[in-house]
Amino acid sequence: MTFAGVLRSEWIKLWSLLSTRILLLLTLVAIVGVGALAVLIRYTYLDDMIRTARDQGQTMTPEMLEKSFPPGSGFDLYNLPNAGLQIGILILGSLAVLFMSSEYATGMIRSTMNAVPRRTPAFAAKAIILAVISYVITTVAGVATFLIAMPVFQGIGFDLDWSTDGVLYSIFTGGLYVAGVALIGLSLGTLLRNSAGGITVLVALFFVLSIAASFMTLIPGEFWKYVPQYIPSEAGGRFLSIGHTDGTIDPWHGGLIFLGYVLLFLVPAMITLKKRDV
Amino acid sequence: MIEATGLTKVYGGKTAVAGVSFTVQPGLVTGFLGPNGAGKSTTMRMVMGLDRPTSGSVTVNGLPYAHHKAPLHEVGALLDAKAVHTSRSAYNHLLAMAATHGIPKARVREVIEMTGLEAVARKKAGGFSLGMGQRLGIAAALLGDPQTLILDEPVNGLDPEGVLWVRNLVRYLANQGKTIFLSSHLMSEMAQTADHLIVIGRGRIIADAPVKEIIAGTRQAKTLVRTGEALELSALLAGDGVTVDQSEPETLEVTGMDSRQIARIALDNHVLVYELTPQLSSLEDAYFDLTKDEVEYHSHLTGGPAVSAPAAAGK
Repeated sequence: MTFAGVLRSEWIKLWSLLSTRILLLLTLVAIVGVGALAVLIRYTYLDDMIRTARDQGQTMTPEMLEKSFPPGSGFDLYNLPNAGLQIGILILGSLAVLFMSSEYATGMIRSTMNAVPRRTPAFAAKAIILAVISYVITTVAGVATFLIAMPVFQGIGFDLDWSTDGVLYSIFTGGLYVAGVALIGLSLGTLLRNSAGGITVLVALFFVLSIAASFMTLIPGEFWKYVPQYIPSEAGGRFLSIGHTDGTIDPWHGGLIFLGYVLLFLVPAMITLKKRDV
Repeated sequence: MIEATGLTKVYGGKTAVAGVSFTVQPGLVTGFLGPNGAGKSTTMRMVMGLDRPTSGSVTVNGLPYAHHKAPLHEVGALLDAKAVHTSRSAYNHLLAMAATHGIPKARVREVIEMTGLEAVARKKAGGFSLGMGQRLGIAAALLGDPQTLILDEPVNGLDPEGVLWVRNLVRYLANQGKTIFLSSHLMSEMAQTADHLIVIGRGRIIADAPVKEIIAGTRQAKTLVRTGEALELSALLAGDGVTVDQSEPETLEVTGMDSRQIARIALDNHVLVYELTPQLSSLEDAYFDLTKDEVEYHSHLTGGPAVSAPAAAGK
């Protein structure tokens, strides 16, 4: 038994299910689709503002327009590659939960543990495959989204290309973020051994919690305004943006906090997998 | 070779296996016999490292299963015919298992052929019948051409031809010097397949001896008597240590007296007997006898090649 063999085995397991192949293709299409929609919305809005200004006899260059919005208010262009990221988080995260929980549901886990009785290599192989697949799909989708965005905004005079600040950074980190979500999904599938439970917790963690956090900011007191940025989705999201904002954690802080969350799920999952009867 | 020492498993206060010790020798088919819930599967799962023993230890070919460098080449196991992802084809399932050990595709095709799965190998395993599932499980167990084979209820759900195939396969592998550990709750199956028996009941080893010894050790041989005067004869035979059962009109089953004594009594009393057949005790009888009274037979029957430890009662 070799780790390369275990890796190949897990790859065969993932790729031999037709449903997985279709899902991965659809994920790519969905991320680009949502990204294209975001491109359309921002284009319509910015184009409209330029026209309005021109009709009123004012000069409004794209550069002035860009500067009029504070960064992070939703009108940045550099982060367009990650516009469809939420879809990727939802689907690839769920797929990661299922990659483990479906083995428990079908009993396949016992065959897996027979072939790899030390267990940890099987978990590590699954983790590597999920991280790589999530990274590749997110990156490809990000590049495709940007390829759509570039000509659209260049057409109305915006200076947007691969050298624009933050473009390559957001493509690079977007893949890392989704890979991290996939690892949390795999850990949830391992800890809970149940598909529905794992996906529910994943959605709670990345979608429900951020809604709850936005209510938290309504609580009187300064303290509560700073708490939300430490939840997984906010910290991870901050990692994808560039620049320093007062009162907000820096991108690399966000990245480290998110990495902490990944380990917080990954390590207990590996320990319980090793210890528990299957 | 499988060696278990004081193997114990407690599930939330309920003791499934209570300190069993046994050795499964190479070159023999060793049957693991016991009623449902006796602890057969739990014991086998502990051998394969799926369940962690509460106490005690078990080694296969000298090492705990998980410590082997190439576990599939050491031990092949069929513990559960449903240990397959339902949406994956049988071929891909075997291919994924083989990949972990670098076992070539040719071997995958070979075990598919051996188990007669060619026609369904590309179909989803979830649609398999119980018998097909068993064949797939056996194919997976054979993948690494292992030295030791552990099969939990392998003939369950197989058709008569499949049962015969499994029987011949395990006999053939045992003759090649491999260790075969086979569980069943079907005593008739064991009588035909196994050389050696380990009988388990309520988590304890009741007997561990060659099949012949277990059959011979059964308490009383029966004699079948057919006569037109059944009532009269049974009255004559009845006595100390003798039991007479009437199963059909004109048919008596006599225990505690041999056929010669019965013939003598019949002759002396002018009772016509038209059949007098000594019944060889079957494994079934032996088994029921054993499980009927664990304590009485514990000291009497254990102590074949592998001596079972004194039952770690109350542990």
